[in-house]
Amino acid sequence: MNYMPGTASLIEDIDKKHLVLLRDGRTLIGILRSIDQFANLVLHQTVERIHVGKKFGDIPRGIFVVRGENVVLLGEVDLDKEYDQILQRVSIEEILEEQRTEQQAKQESERLKLQAVKERGLSIPKADTLDDF
Amino acid sequence: MGCTFLEKTGESVPDASWPENGDQWSDKGEEEDDECELLQEMAEEDEEIDLYNEETFGLDEATSGDNPAADPMDLLLLCSDNSPTPQSSPPPPPISPSPHSSHSPSRPGSRVWPHTPTGRPQRGRAGRGQLFDDPAVVKTVEGRPSLKSLDSAIVDCSLSSYWEDLNSNTWMMAPQKSSRPPVASILQDQAIVGVIDRSRHGRVPPVSPNFLSPMRPFSTSRGRRGPPFVGSFNQRCHYQNPMVPCSPFRPQRLFSPQQQYNQPGGFLSPSRPPLSTPMPHTPKLMHLQFGTDSPRPAPFYSPSTNIMQGFRAPGPVAQFHPQHKRLLSQRQQRPHRKPVSWDPYSQIMTDKEKEWIIRLQMIQLQSKNPHLDDYYYQEYYQRIEAKLAEEEILGDRLKKEPPKLTTPYVTKALSYIPVVHIEGSLGQVAVSTCFSPRRAIDAVHANTSDEEHRDTRRQRLEVLSTIEKLYIVLLEVEEANKMKATVSDKDEERRLMQNIKRKVDQLYNELRCTNLLDSGEEFISCLLISKGKSMLARLLPFLSPDASLHILSVVTKNLPVLMSKDTDEALPVLYPSLRAVIDRLAFSQLIRNLKEFTATLPDSKDTRLTLACQNKFGLSLLYALLSQGERLLSSDLPMEPSIGDFETWTDTVFHVARQLSQTTLVEPLLLPSNLLTLFCRYLDKRTVHQLKNNMESATGYLAVAS
Repeated sequence: MNYMPGTASLIEDIDKKHLVLLRDGRTLIGILRSIDQFANLVLHQTVERIHVGKKFGDIPRGIFVVRGENVVLLGEVDLDKEYDQILQRVSIEEILEEQRTEQQAKQESERLKLQAVKERGLSIPKADTLDDF
Repeated sequence: MGCTFLEKTGESVPDASWPENGDQWSDKGEEEDDECELLQEMAEEDEEIDLYNEETFGLDEATSGDNPAADPMDLLLLCSDNSPTPQSSPPPPPISPSPHSSHSPSRPGSRVWPHTPTGRPQRGRAGRGQLFDDPAVVKTVEGRPSLKSLDSAIVDCSLSSYWEDLNSNTWMMAPQKSSRPPVASILQDQAIVGVIDRSRHGRVPPVSPNFLSPMRPFSTSRGRRGPPFVGSFNQRCHYQNPMVPCSPFRPQRLFSPQQQYNQPGGFLSPSRPPLSTPMPHTPKLMHLQFGTDSPRPAPFYSPSTNIMQGFRAPGPVAQFHPQHKRLLSQRQQRPHRKPVSWDPYSQIMTDKEKEWIIRLQMIQLQSKNPHLDDYYYQEYYQRIEAKLAEEEILGDRLKKEPPKLTTPYVTKALSYIPVVHIEGSLGQVAVSTCFSPRRAIDAVHANTSDEEHRDTRRQRLEVLSTIEKLYIVLLEVEEANKMKATVSDKDEERRLMQNIKRKVDQLYNELRCTNLLDSGEEFISCLLISKGKSMLARLLPFLSPDASLHILSVVTKNLPVLMSKDTDEALPVLYPSLRAVIDRLAFSQLIRNLKEFTATLPDSKDTRLTLACQNKFGLSLLYALLSQGERLLSSDLPMEPSIGDFETWTDTVFHVARQLSQTTLVEPLLLPSNLLTLFCRYLDKRTVHQLKNNMESATGYLAVAS
């Protein structure tokens, strides 16, 4: 029941399949093979999973070395539950297409918003010009 | 790795490529390059970096002998050096890939660090075409076997089987599937050669097997050896067998915390052989370890050993909490775990590395006084435990322990004396340590005489500073008291108690002496300051009964002064502690205190009583005293009253009752419930009723007569 401090608690997660969410929004699923004190991760047989709506698609990626600071969260994947999901797996092309459409729609709405805001004489600073934290 | 761009002028550089005989490199070129000083410096820097790398990644002794600082950098330096070393300017093999060749058209004389291709093109932004620039995507998408699609992730023939298995449930079992030699050979024939050609023209990153990507020049030390890449790769493909994925590029052991075991007193010291590098499975594969002719036999250090060594002295000797020791030893005892048969990659991170991380984290948590350093966590944990204990008692019999953070257990270190005084010498010998760099001179604080400062304000400030200094002592007392509850050792407990007593006495005496010059009364000056009040309130529980009684009488006697000068309304802070004192009073002591209330003050007509009625604290004090008296009287405990006590008591009660019914009262801090009972006993109904009304109107709620 006792837990280790810091990254040492990840040691018991080694050699297990994990889902890692990165700061840039990507979702990686891979077997956690190695860690270090910064929680840099080595993921093996990694798959990048793109979710759009209820569909998802996987892109196999191989080995990933993820710098610890870019991880938002990670968690072990329950292998039993992994395959009975509501989500529907589709092919890569499809999911990328879906993602692109979603992206476009978002951009469009953003553009309209920005325009509306500009018309009113306001300005919203873009997120990348602000500090993250 | 330091320099990324090196300008070399006037050197004839051969067509850059990885030399096949990489192990025969020498860096003599480096040493002879003294034309450009900058280069020299950079080279030195490189050497240091290389040394570090060597320590980290480890080179075998064979190569380390001749090339102490060999580096991919050396390629650059080497090729530019003047000395003709035929080995160092390797002839470009026809099919060896070269990261530098990506820039070969662009120079002579200038060498640019190979451009590492970015793995991720923008996705979803541009048109469809760019979608499929992502090689990983391309490969997965059926029917697009373009060479451009050959991502490092994909080319590995041994893993090609796993793409197909991706959709099946055998995700974890993928590597075990039978390999596809035909696929391999196809790749070998067309793709690789093609890719190599391409890469020569700088369009596509060179092919590299999946695991460690040694083609990236600065990724591993292996790469620096300039292996005959494709050659080996070819061979590897030939040796395709189901178990291959696991071994040949079994990753380097980046950290071998072996050195740490030498640390005094601390870590577990298993005597493991330094070499526990996993050897490749077959002899055939041995030579596939890039750039080395033999597997690494050398024990390697981890960079952490330097860190570890820094912790040896002077500091607490780190020991592991017995629980943690058990944990670690359990880990150890788990006999050298056979690699889980279904997962050939399961031992990539060895136990040593895991322990290394654990140790690293533990070191950061070392503390001699966790209750001080990690106050919030300790408090939190104690509260949770207390709550669980309560629940347990109440009925929830489940003994669930809350999860606790494992922390290192640190034994007390002997304190060291930074200043050494040799007998008979004048002055002190300076002993500088990292904690006290210079203590050569002990500045003596000059005491200014008291007569000079007649200013009241300055006096107050002096008292305030005394109080503040004493606060530290008080904190230590409270700390020691808390520790006393947790410590198990009897000697320790006794020592702590002595410590506490000593400090409490010190506090008492110092506070007592803080008196303003014009008043002869002890404690007053500190009582007049709000900080002093709260300090006394905190000190009272620790004082002996006599001492606390003394303070109570001081407070009672000087109540008018205190009340009038209490601008901050800080007096109530004394109430709880004084209440506790009062509750322990014997009858005669009580009487003595009460007498003060009814006596007339020397300089005015009022009694303390009259004044007290107007003050929250005063009134509460009065009530507390009366309540205690009532309790004593109504209890069956034998009292030992002195002569005249009862009379005084009755007189006082009458007096107080009369006063209370006549004047408007303020709301007290606490209204004891047995007061009305007391009054009922001595007074007539009407008076009691009047009293009751008066008291109630002050408090706003009913004073229940029990």
